[in-house]
Amino acid sequence: MKVLCLLFALASVLPGANYYVTIAGLGGSPDYDTQFAKWASELEHELKANGPEAQVITLSGNAATRQKVQETLANLAAEVKPGDAFALFLIGHGSYDGTDYKFNLPGPDISASELAAMLNRIPARRQLVVNMTSCSGGSLAALAKKDRIVIAATKSGTEKNATVFARYWIDALKDPSADTDKNGTVSALEAYLYAQRKTAAYFESEKLLATEHSIISDNGSANGVRDPKPENGAGILAAAFPVIRPESESAKSASPEKQRLLAKKEDLEAKIDRLKYQKAAMPEDEYKQQLTALLLELARTQAEIDR
Amino acid sequence: MSRYNVSFAAAVLFVAVHVRAAGVNDCRTLKRHGQTREAAACFERLTRAPDSLSRAEGYFGLGHYDVANDEFRMALKEQPKSAEVRYEWGLLYLNHYQPGDAAKLFEEALELDPNYARAYLELARIAGLSYDKKALDLAQEALNHDPKLYEAHELLAYLALEDSDEERAKAEAQKALAISNEALDGMAVLASIDWLGGKTQSEWMDRILKINPVYGEAYATGAHFFTINRRYELAVEYGRKALELAPDLWQVRSDLGLNLMRLGRTEEARKELQDCFEAHWRDAQTTNALKFLDTLGQYQTFQTGTTELMLNKSEASLLRPYIEPELEKAVATYERKYKMKLPGKVRLEVYPNHDDFVVRTLGLPGQGGLLGVTFGTVVAMDSPSARPPGDFNWASTMWHELSHVYILTATNHLVPRWFTEGLSVHEEGVRDAAWGDRMTPEIVSALKNKKLLPVADLDRGFVRPQYPTQVLVSYFEAGKVCDYIAQKWGDDAILGMVHSYAGRKTTAEAIQDNLHESIDEFNRDFQAWLDQQTADTVRHFDDWKRSIANAKKAASIEEQIQQQTAIRDQYRTYVGPNSPYESLAELYASKGDKAEALKELEQYRNLGGTYVKALKDLARLEQETGSVKEAEHTLTELNYIYPEDEEAHRMFGRLLLDSGDATQAVREFSAVLALKPSDVAESHYDLAKALDAAHRTNEAKDQVLLALEAAPGFKPAQQLLLKLSQ
Repeated sequence: MKVLCLLFALASVLPGANYYVTIAGLGGSPDYDTQFAKWASELEHELKANGPEAQVITLSGNAATRQKVQETLANLAAEVKPGDAFALFLIGHGSYDGTDYKFNLPGPDISASELAAMLNRIPARRQLVVNMTSCSGGSLAALAKKDRIVIAATKSGTEKNATVFARYWIDALKDPSADTDKNGTVSALEAYLYAQRKTAAYFESEKLLATEHSIISDNGSANGVRDPKPENGAGILAAAFPVIRPESESAKSASPEKQRLLAKKEDLEAKIDRLKYQKAAMPEDEYKQQLTALLLELARTQAEIDR
Repeated sequence: MSRYNVSFAAAVLFVAVHVRAAGVNDCRTLKRHGQTREAAACFERLTRAPDSLSRAEGYFGLGHYDVANDEFRMALKEQPKSAEVRYEWGLLYLNHYQPGDAAKLFEEALELDPNYARAYLELARIAGLSYDKKALDLAQEALNHDPKLYEAHELLAYLALEDSDEERAKAEAQKALAISNEALDGMAVLASIDWLGGKTQSEWMDRILKINPVYGEAYATGAHFFTINRRYELAVEYGRKALELAPDLWQVRSDLGLNLMRLGRTEEARKELQDCFEAHWRDAQTTNALKFLDTLGQYQTFQTGTTELMLNKSEASLLRPYIEPELEKAVATYERKYKMKLPGKVRLEVYPNHDDFVVRTLGLPGQGGLLGVTFGTVVAMDSPSARPPGDFNWASTMWHELSHVYILTATNHLVPRWFTEGLSVHEEGVRDAAWGDRMTPEIVSALKNKKLLPVADLDRGFVRPQYPTQVLVSYFEAGKVCDYIAQKWGDDAILGMVHSYAGRKTTAEAIQDNLHESIDEFNRDFQAWLDQQTADTVRHFDDWKRSIANAKKAASIEEQIQQQTAIRDQYRTYVGPNSPYESLAELYASKGDKAEALKELEQYRNLGGTYVKALKDLARLEQETGSVKEAEHTLTELNYIYPEDEEAHRMFGRLLLDSGDATQAVREFSAVLALKPSDVAESHYDLAKALDAAHRTNEAKDQVLLALEAAPGFKPAQQLLLKLSQ
């Protein structure tokens, strides 16, 4: 994860607006309709924590028709800039016939390849698609693309049971423990790992056979992985995609003194990352000594910034 | 083929069959008389016989199973309608640890010849291997078809002794001897009765050896009875005696290996099992035990003054802080209560893989759903990770098994099964009222149908159950018997009974000596006492079942509450799956009535409910409503049921830290880290705070550095680091 930290540090200073679209599909029964609408509403609430500049669009219930989805994504294709971040969240049921994945909507459904075509027209270079529906693994191959993170609640199109991944994805955005590097931001990778763990724990504690196994692809591969890590080349882009970034320490509006401290902080963080790279090759005591010194300095610097 | 040829062929076959029968019987008689060399020569001659069946018998007698198998196959082609070929082939399979294949052949033999008494006998023997009650019926069926089949009486004697019914065992063995004065296995049962009774010499063994000086099977029979009576040291001794006489009794050697393994003598066990394997005796028991021994490197042993705790390295850091103190507490408690010290340390082995645990315990009767087993002062049990969350309470199981350690030691393993099991169940309940055996629907059903056994026969419920849930019912009944004794006569009476058993007293005598009433009076009074406790539930049991079956989703929450309350009150101790307590708690919570939800869940916990989510919900509710001590109690119970829950440990740690118990908070936050949490930084930080509160500053600093190594910008950890570095 050391690589991830460095990349995140780069990504976190990238400018641009954020666009979040949530679509809650057809429930098929009052219970599911209510459930999906509730999740969509909760997700919208959490995404709004990204601040007033964030564009949060939610299509739910009868509003989430194929036509409305097409219109919404077409409008965004005209509005979004290459430097912006774009995220799409799909909640509901999916189906898979062995070839095509379809997202179930009131009226005609929408296929993964149709969705992919619409997303391809959106200029944002950084894209995140979180398909939390049943059979969502069947959509991954069509949606996967360079610079696009695709997360699916199921490992394939054949996991057909209604999913719980969405519940834990939303939890990830509000539970501080999902922010594992404690930088105030929940990245797509952090949210993915949190939701995956909680989903597995759910099935275990309920003594149920797990009927969903989430996967991620963020390197253009049509084959997702369950455990993104540097060794399999997955997770790098997802670590650099903030889903929730409620805090911002903008250097632009800071005083010169504060700007100096922020620069020092970044420098110290970079030194810590470099030191962590060298850990395996260093005597333990020496590593600990150097790390302690850097962390103390960073803590003092942060204290000065916060003063 | 011409008519002449057919007649000629039939005549040849007729002669061959009779010659073969005479030949194989001669060989078997030689073997039965211990004339090993002559028997081998006889079998050798048979391998050169003109017919396949004789050759098969020859190779079988010589232990060349593969060739014998081929010859049997050929014999069946030659005589496709022969029940005898199938029967003899079945014997080969039975001898070669393939009872399933053998049973098929015996059944086929019976289809062809429904009067084939010996086929019934072997089917009885196969049923007996798994302690199936059908064994008795099948052996009796064999006798119905051939009243002179003394081997059937021998088997009935053996089965009776497995049921601890010595009188019946003796009677059946004598019946066998009345038919044949060379009924060696009948004599072996009689000798076993002597050995079990403490005699080291038996006239029956002398008689056996006069007939067959190398009949190791007789000692093996003794070893078997010592094994099922949990007297493993003696089982090893008699297993070795058997092998001294007949070193090629591979099943006996494998059993010896298993018993050595049970006693923790792993190197000796490995040698015996390896010998079996190299001799191509590769049955499931031998190969699984060898594979199991190969996994022992994955374990780590922790010693205290009185205990040895063996844990898998992968979960040692999580479990040790919970299991070790509980183990020491149990040892101290039982030492006081039973007024004795063990001859050495108690060894507790905890297996995260249930299959490993099963291999460790293979061969015991009534092992379905087994959670823990005691071998002398060695206890093996499932780790909580070996079972689904909420499936079992490891601490309760541990206290149960530890009670066996004391009672088996105190009685020199002479205690009947029902009493030691009952006492163990009783001790679980003494340690924690929420533990012990619950009155499950199966038990209520048994109570309703008057299926409980009289105390004198209670062992049968464990060894050879007559209905699927009888083992479960017998545990409950035995536990209640001990509860009743403790309640009416006190713990000293229990201890008195322990001493009576040590003095080889029967249950009737132990009751008379210590409770001063006859076993019949005891049975009557106990039944009345139990009825008083259970009558209400038993009376409403059918209503309860109907209510469950008819329960519909009522229109309103209030109606649902009413419905579930009625179900709850019909069977108040039911805390199994979908208990009304959980439903009611959810219903009350949905209408915002936390107090009522909490009340339901507290009852659920106190009655021994183990559903993890319900207990976590309860802990949260207790925390929210300021019942900190109750929340701590709930989370303590949860640790006994499911110590793998990261969230529960974190919640407990924070509660403890807030209430000033930093030491226990350290334990809880250490558990979080042992579970490899996703939020590493937070977890190290929590532990650092607890260590700081416990004035363990250097350790706290190490932990906060680990937190910051994972998340350098983690402000609370930064602040703690600055504080600790001042």
